[in-house]
Amino acid sequence: MKRLLVAVVLFASVVLLASGKLTIAVDVEPVGLDPHLVTAFASHRILENVYDGLLRFGENLELLPNLAESYEIPDPYTIVFRIRQNVKFHDGRPLTVEDVIFSFKRILDPETKSPAAAFYQDVDSIEAVDERTVKFKLKKPMASAILPNFAGVNSSIISKKFFESGKNLQLETNGTGPFYLAEYVAGNYIVLKKNPYYFVQGQPVLDEIKFVFMPEELSRVAALKNRDVDMAKISEPLNVRQFSADKYNIFKSATLSYYLIGINTTRKPFDDPRVRNALNYAINRDAIVKTVAFGEGVVTGPMHPSIKVWALPPEEFEEYKYNPAKAKELLAQAGYPSGFEFSIVTSARYNFDKVAQVIQAQLAQIGVKVNIELVEWGIFIKRWRESDFDAFISMNSGSMEPDIQFYRHFKTGGSTNVFKFSNPKVDELLELGRSTVDTEKRKQIYNELQRLLVKESPVIFLYCANQFFVADRSVEGFKLLPNESLIFLRETYKK
Amino acid sequence: MTLGYVLRRIIVSVPTVLLVVLMVFVAIHLVPGTAVDMMLGTQNYLTEDQIRQLYHQYGLDKPLVVQYFAWLKNTLSFNFGVSLRTGKPVLQLILSRLPVTLELAALSMAIALTLGIVLGVVSAVKRNGFIDDIIKVFSLIGISSPAFWIGSIFIVLFSGLFRGFNIFGYVPIDRDLLKNLQSMLLPSLTLGLMICAQIVRVTRASMLDVLRQEYIKTAMAKGVSRTVLIFKHALKNALIPVVTVSGIQLGYLIGGTIVIENLFALPGLGRLLLQAVNERDYPVVQSIVLFVAIMIVALNILIDFVYTLLDPRVELK
Amino acid sequence: MKTLRRILKKPLNIVAIVLIFSIVSMAFFPKFFSTHDPLEMDYESILEPPSRKHFFGTDQFGRDMYSRCVHGVQKSVVVAFSSTSIACLFGTALGLISGYYGGLLDLLIMRVCDSFFAFPTLVLALFIVALFGNSLLNLIIAIAIVYTPIFARTIRGSVLSVKENLFVKASKTLGSSDLRIMLFHVLPNVSSILIVTFTTNLSTAFLTEASLGFLGLSVPPPQPTLGGLVAQATAFLATAPWMALFPGAIIALIVLSLNVLGDALRDLLDPKR
Repeated sequence: MKRLLVAVVLFASVVLLASGKLTIAVDVEPVGLDPHLVTAFASHRILENVYDGLLRFGENLELLPNLAESYEIPDPYTIVFRIRQNVKFHDGRPLTVEDVIFSFKRILDPETKSPAAAFYQDVDSIEAVDERTVKFKLKKPMASAILPNFAGVNSSIISKKFFESGKNLQLETNGTGPFYLAEYVAGNYIVLKKNPYYFVQGQPVLDEIKFVFMPEELSRVAALKNRDVDMAKISEPLNVRQFSADKYNIFKSATLSYYLIGINTTRKPFDDPRVRNALNYAINRDAIVKTVAFGEGVVTGPMHPSIKVWALPPEEFEEYKYNPAKAKELLAQAGYPSGFEFSIVTSARYNFDKVAQVIQAQLAQIGVKVNIELVEWGIFIKRWRESDFDAFISMNSGSMEPDIQFYRHFKTGGSTNVFKFSNPKVDELLELGRSTVDTEKRKQIYNELQRLLVKESPVIFLYCANQFFVADRSVEGFKLLPNESLIFLRETYKK
Repeated sequence: MTLGYVLRRIIVSVPTVLLVVLMVFVAIHLVPGTAVDMMLGTQNYLTEDQIRQLYHQYGLDKPLVVQYFAWLKNTLSFNFGVSLRTGKPVLQLILSRLPVTLELAALSMAIALTLGIVLGVVSAVKRNGFIDDIIKVFSLIGISSPAFWIGSIFIVLFSGLFRGFNIFGYVPIDRDLLKNLQSMLLPSLTLGLMICAQIVRVTRASMLDVLRQEYIKTAMAKGVSRTVLIFKHALKNALIPVVTVSGIQLGYLIGGTIVIENLFALPGLGRLLLQAVNERDYPVVQSIVLFVAIMIVALNILIDFVYTLLDPRVELK
Repeated sequence: MKTLRRILKKPLNIVAIVLIFSIVSMAFFPKFFSTHDPLEMDYESILEPPSRKHFFGTDQFGRDMYSRCVHGVQKSVVVAFSSTSIACLFGTALGLISGYYGGLLDLLIMRVCDSFFAFPTLVLALFIVALFGNSLLNLIIAIAIVYTPIFARTIRGSVLSVKENLFVKASKTLGSSDLRIMLFHVLPNVSSILIVTFTTNLSTAFLTEASLGFLGLSVPPPQPTLGGLVAQATAFLATAPWMALFPGAIIALIVLSLNVLGDALRDLLDPKR
């Protein structure tokens, strides 16, 4: 009995002493706070701890219940969620089935212009079966393909009454998450404070998180060293190595986002898939990872190699073996024995320009001359949208779910198919993939798709970088997710 | 300098301000990439129809001329609009960031002028001596190093050096004076030293010019003491180009030194302008430029006034 | 010439002249001075400190920093010198006219200059590059436009004072033409300021090029410019300081030499000596 008491007291004291305030230095500031509207990742990093969705991601990106305490897929066209009871919004109002339905109706309303609308375009109906159950009916049998979307910030549940009282969600928040927005000084910092009514016992552990915006990496490194902040996002591996593991906790994880060369398949000589395919052999991806990411990254095929369920690893593809001689031979066969010239459009962020320089040097060795057009990000976006490029270098966000990874990029007319790529077999496989339920069958389909994508190479997949957060040794309980989410801040504490 | 002169200057400045604002308006709208493009990013999740709706909602589908006059009309009635990206009122945004930039400018200028003029005079008087050479080298380092370099070196040097000294973390002056000055120390030192180097050089050259002039030689022949000579006669006239340079530098400071604000994570006007330009947040860009233009015009009138104080022969018509 | 000999007597001046000569030679014959191809990558030797093989070490792609600096000198010198010269020419002319004639002309010219001062450099550079492309010429034009008002304003300020001088007034009474007075009486007396402003802005031009390089608005990669090299090296300041040290030192040396010579030149032109 005494031991139990001691244990309880110890636990309580650890929790009490271990709470407190955490200051984190991040590089970008949120752009708007409306979870159904914001696309900026910086906004997501804040909102994912303020709002909740029906599901959430676990440590290994597995789907876990969140506001839905359980879910069922009775048939591939139907998903039934059972909504958790006794959940309160930050303003005290209780969460009801109405709020869930309202949230999704708002997302689907074309007037709202929500980025999540595209994910749910095949939803036929949403209805409340009873006061704690919601049923989604789909037009296509894609229940498992659509499920991961429910864990995204853009699918958060908002309060119907709060919205209808005329509040501007871009400026004010009201969620069910472990933290609420206490203070936002534009350009300086955001303070999140503990939600005492959060529905998970013992979470969050921290009383307060302060996100400080520091655009320059040099500043974040210095702030950490100088103890102005407890934790900082560090992008450059060289800077991470400045922090010794005995004084600091270094959090590292792979990311699903991948670097790519996007190619306009309607421009000569890229209208010939043999030419696109040939370039693969001339690119030494390992060298790119070594010089641009200092080894902190992994060469990737169409899907991140660590997704063992779906991904065909790079070793499976002939094209990934560095072989400049073969590249020259293939180009000669396609009618370009003395190479050709083209330009790559890119922007100076996230090391895109560095990747471009390496590719330029590597392609020069097989007689292909690359001109780098370095433009400002806004101009890049415009040219990207209008497919005004021979090729570009950029980064796409990745997913564990092959349909989300491939569909909109490679389907003829897909929303992000700026490559003007159109291949009937690819279209067929994409449609088949999202409406097949049996995992084994899906695997076959997506294997074939991946092989076809590398053969046709509308896109040359390069690598996925690792991400780092460095913190003072006293910061524990934090985990990084491959989708760059910070939701584990709710389990973080300071010793 | 009469009231009439000031009023006339103000009236004449109005077209200048309007010209600047018009130039920026045209520039930012002609640059490829619109606010809507920035919203969509590389996600591209809206239909053509929805995109057209957004353009209409923000009034971006009207011809440029119409948009310009609409904005002008609103601004004249002190309605500065709302940020396209965050939805926050523009006036509020600007007013919250202005004190930071003004304080940085004032502190940097103070350091630059005090140090600069003193060193410049010493350098000129002790011409070609050892001290002159040292000051020359110092000022050369100051003008040959980019802001981000000097600032970065300061940051790398100071991080971890003094316990309890915060390099980052801006706190407004009314909340905690000490912490405010602490966060301003390194950034204003960086800018101050850079500008100081320019001031030293101009002061020195100007002093040398003045010291060679006839009336100085006359005064010397008359037996006026050297110190009086330097401070009473020479310095005043030597300061004219110094004032010009200071004015120019102050103008840039008010515009916001983006690099320093980014480096030291200060929530100033320059950083806001950079963000707004990057995001094509038209109302924010235009309003900031308007504010800065007005302040610079006011500054220039002030500077011309200071000319008359220094050299009474200068007549402003 | 007596003055020339006097200039050559000071060791500082000789050093400056030698440096400038080397820099100019480097600018004309970069290949001759380089040890490696500035664009060649060597994945086995990334971020190496200075050695006998690589005098200034290597960058993150294994490219030889020394050769990159040599080639960078050429681009940077061209950009800085051209833009400052253009700005000096136009700016001084405007400043002379504005300060000498005063009145409405002065007001007009100064107001237009004011509007350029208030025009954020960032938007200007963005605008020019976005509409006309990323080229050496456009970079020079952009920087020249930014600096012209500086010359105009500085010269004008001094002219305001100088024109009240006795000999200027005397010349006027004697019936000399305005142009003659401006060129032969006013201009020499603002020459010190002119030279100082020129050399000051020449060095700032290097730095403006660096800032623009930071924002991706300079010469497209992989061509090196001194400013661009310094900008890229800032990210590695703590781990590979030599990357910033050498190009930065070269910029400083160029600026130093220019200014030493500028001072010597001013002595040469001094009407009093």
